[in-house]
Amino acid sequence: MSIYIDKAAQISIQQPLCNEWFSNPSMPTDRLCKFVRPDFKQYISAAISRRMGTALKCTLSSASACVSEEKRSNLDGILTGTGLGSIENTENFLLAMLEGEEGLSPSNFMQSTHNTLGSQVAIAFKCHGYNITYAHRGTSFDSALMNAVVKFQLNEYKTALVNGVDEMTEKYFQLFDHIGFWKDRNVTIEDVRNATSPGTFAGENSVSLLLTTQPSEQPLCELCDTQLFYRPSDEQLKTCVEKLCHAFNINRIDAIVIGNNGDKENDAEYRRLAQLLTPDAKQIIYKHLFGESFTMSGLGIYVAATCLKEKRVPAHITMDNEALENPQTILVLNHFKQLDYSITLLKSC
Amino acid sequence: MTEKIVVTGYGIISSIGAGVEKTREALLKEEKSIGRVAHLNTCHTDIPCGEVKESDDELKKALGIASDQIITRTPLLAMMAMKEAISTSRLTDQISTAFINGTTVGGMEKSEKYYYDFFEGKHTEYISAHDCGAGTELVSHLFGHFDLMTTISTACSSAANSVILGADLIKTGRVDAAIVGGTESLSKFHLNGFNSLMILEHQPCRPFEKSNQGLNLGEGAGYIVIERESVAKARGANIICELSGYANTCDAFHQTATSETSEGAYRAMTNALLNAHLKTNEIDYINAHGTGTSDNDLHESIALKRVFGENIPPFSSTKAFTGHTTSAAGAVESVISILALQYGFIPANLGFSEPIEATGLIPVQKTLHRTLNHVMTNSFGFGGNDSSCIFSKYQPS
Amino acid sequence: MDALVQELKEKVIQALNLEDVTPDDIDANAPLFGEGLGLDSIDALELIVLMERNYGIKLKNANEGKDIFKSIQVMADYISKNRTK
Repeated sequence: MSIYIDKAAQISIQQPLCNEWFSNPSMPTDRLCKFVRPDFKQYISAAISRRMGTALKCTLSSASACVSEEKRSNLDGILTGTGLGSIENTENFLLAMLEGEEGLSPSNFMQSTHNTLGSQVAIAFKCHGYNITYAHRGTSFDSALMNAVVKFQLNEYKTALVNGVDEMTEKYFQLFDHIGFWKDRNVTIEDVRNATSPGTFAGENSVSLLLTTQPSEQPLCELCDTQLFYRPSDEQLKTCVEKLCHAFNINRIDAIVIGNNGDKENDAEYRRLAQLLTPDAKQIIYKHLFGESFTMSGLGIYVAATCLKEKRVPAHITMDNEALENPQTILVLNHFKQLDYSITLLKSC
Repeated sequence: MTEKIVVTGYGIISSIGAGVEKTREALLKEEKSIGRVAHLNTCHTDIPCGEVKESDDELKKALGIASDQIITRTPLLAMMAMKEAISTSRLTDQISTAFINGTTVGGMEKSEKYYYDFFEGKHTEYISAHDCGAGTELVSHLFGHFDLMTTISTACSSAANSVILGADLIKTGRVDAAIVGGTESLSKFHLNGFNSLMILEHQPCRPFEKSNQGLNLGEGAGYIVIERESVAKARGANIICELSGYANTCDAFHQTATSETSEGAYRAMTNALLNAHLKTNEIDYINAHGTGTSDNDLHESIALKRVFGENIPPFSSTKAFTGHTTSAAGAVESVISILALQYGFIPANLGFSEPIEATGLIPVQKTLHRTLNHVMTNSFGFGGNDSSCIFSKYQPS
Repeated sequence: MDALVQELKEKVIQALNLEDVTPDDIDANAPLFGEGLGLDSIDALELIVLMERNYGIKLKNANEGKDIFKSIQVMADYISKNRTK
């Protein structure tokens, strides 16, 4: 059994629901970059969307763009990762409550729970399948992806939708600023290629992947496996990569996606591990285009899958500023504060 | 056929007490615990809850944690239950183990207290303690080393889904054991949230009662240790029971209301039975979700009738004991179900007097003592995130 | 009463975020739930909040809303009889 990424859709701080970022990226210039919104009306009727916050609208749009109508109710699973859920709604309810505990509007509360995003997709798709939401900081998306792979490996799935969604509000941005998440200026590609100071910049993302064992004519790539680790030893990670290569008959990893974001400590760990795990692979970076969030690793997978489909890694997303033609295998590495790690292996179809 | 997954340890804390022994005693004595909150700072003091008796400081003391350590109440409750789960199972990190935690409130109970202070640069150490994963990380330090760790947040079915993921990780060989469950403290945020939905009862809740108005919120934590049968046997673990089946489905109808036919609940129970290779007449007791709201109780009754027909097994909701412990409920009630299986009793559904007219179902009203072989527990969440798990008497392979 | 009906229409549109609806689109005697505007149980709760915040009317039970929210006209009648502000 092979798992394929059959379709993928992203809404982020780049042009939404397309691959404009691949050939003609826009360079973020703010410390907090917000979603570039698609025309939500194409995906959600006004009657349904009237109570929805931005994160939810983006989730429904990227999910809808990913799964054609006839497939929606037949998905075996809808798995979602979100570090913070709909924080816009959470904040609205919290602020109103701090003013007084009377006459509070239920709509904001209802949307504040993390699982609203994934369950609303199920409601819109009339899908009774497995439905789950992960909220585990920087590996929230990776957890959802791993869970999907597990279900495929148990032969319980033929198709599944995996989402990674996070939004960032002004207020939450300020709170994170107090604990040193962000740089005091905008982050450039030079920072991401060679970080010398702490902090990164904030992005927003809703990425959806349609996984299937029965791909359409042009799937993006094959998803070999996703493995999660907590405080792993170098040996564990090395063994994992070796085992995966062996299991999938891969003798060379062409490129590795690393999550450099301009934060010195964060990036040093990626560079160290890239050197350790895949010393000869081309290093792909993406957070200079998309910013950072708890589920930005979803875009790491998206970027890698897109490169495999396009048979090209453009120079503007590589560490050495040189393009790579015809990549066959890409490893995607993610870590959160050197605690939680994930490794995903993708190969071309 | 895949190898059995067995339960080798458990831990629990709720308003009826800390620890499995205290919990069993309270259930058997039908002790009531729902009442006025003492620790939660809210103006809704007329809304009764199932609050854990210990304050944060008392919990810290019981856990041997310095009183000035930065930790929110959700992970504190978790640590109480986790410690017991680890010690009853005698599991060590020689076995590759996952920690799957269910929570939704996370550190909100402190964020709501210090929110304005944060912006003035005060108490900022609680900012990074806010998200759900932060608590999981803190709690994990109680164990030597987890190979894999994550946090599930599907509202009131979070802990049940942790059990399910843990089992699937073992089945696919990713780990040999898992500590699974969930934790939730009361917060002003979700007390007011449930109040805005007008589903809070102003007296102790009465699940499955004809005239029921709503639920009581509770707080607590529960964890169970599950592992591959061969691993448990090899290390000489005390096998308490089996996790024989489970299912996760979605009602896919409305964020807070249930579909007329209770599709999600129906599928969760049906698929769990299929997964366990059990027939409906083999279930000896159902620990129902039974929140006390008319929406849940009516629709859970409809689903029970759809699944079990005329022969609905004895069932009760234990939420009149503990209150609705939301993200922890699936684990708190799994531990209660395991105790029922282990010690041969069916806990009472407190406060019941008259059945819901449309369905006429009558839960177990007084504690029953009898041998149980298979017990089902239901956890249904916002958004129709519905899951069921089945625990069975251990039959060595 | 007409002024209250008009005011209510505006407040309902705002509270329920009925984007493409104008006060003139709402027939004061048409049912609010079911076919009409396609409102659901959460909207009913929002209407309860609306009455509490604007007119000082507090309902204890969400079911009481069923009779009050039959139409804008019925709602206006109820508010004019029971308002405390």
